[in-house]
Amino acid sequence: MRHYEVVFMVHPDQSEQVPGMIERYSNVITKDGGTVHRLEDWGRRQLAYHINKIHKAHYVLMNVEASNEAMEELTTTFRYNDAVIRNLVIRRDEPTLEESLIMKAEREDKERKARYQERQDNDARRAAAETAKAPAEEDAPEPVAEAPEAATEETTEE
Amino acid sequence: MSRFFRRRKFCRFTAEGVTEIDYKDLDTLKQYVSETGKIVPSRITGTKAKYQRQLATAVKRARYLALLPYTDAHN
Repeated sequence: MRHYEVVFMVHPDQSEQVPGMIERYSNVITKDGGTVHRLEDWGRRQLAYHINKIHKAHYVLMNVEASNEAMEELTTTFRYNDAVIRNLVIRRDEPTLEESLIMKAEREDKERKARYQERQDNDARRAAAETAKAPAEEDAPEPVAEAPEAATEETTEE
Repeated sequence: MSRFFRRRKFCRFTAEGVTEIDYKDLDTLKQYVSETGKIVPSRITGTKAKYQRQLATAVKRARYLALLPYTDAHN
């Protein structure tokens, strides 16, 4: 049993298949006595360069502990699955459990956008309430913490 | 000899005691890649050899996964 980190990229048109694929690949690993330590779906990301005239791809990251046979099976399925554009398997020394940096960046970006959206909504609501004097419907407080943020309009350059 | 004062180079990874450079850490990697997409040599950045090697593999992995461009002449 060894630790591996697997990243595979799925054709964006086959994005709906991703949950099924994750399940199948997890089964391949677990049925041999392996474990999936970390599983991340990065979603559709812009590619830094075009691959086969594709501009976006659906990324999935898995940190697994698996036997050699299971990994072999996994890589062959990657090879024969046309939906998988690219895959990367690297060996690791220990399991990784914490959120990867890409996921973190993505989430922070999303939170920032959510906060921005929320502020826009609040502004719009306040404006509407002032003009109509109607009781604005109070939404449940968003789960996003109202942290003091400086860079609201920081666009990600990917 | 040189009349211009040059700022002392230092290795950020040594200073921070990084154990491993992650190919997913795009913000860090981008600092060590030129505008044309090349890996900046350690003689310019002052990165220690141990980390420069790690950095090179990390950048190459990121490039393979299309997280970083190989060059600015794509498309």
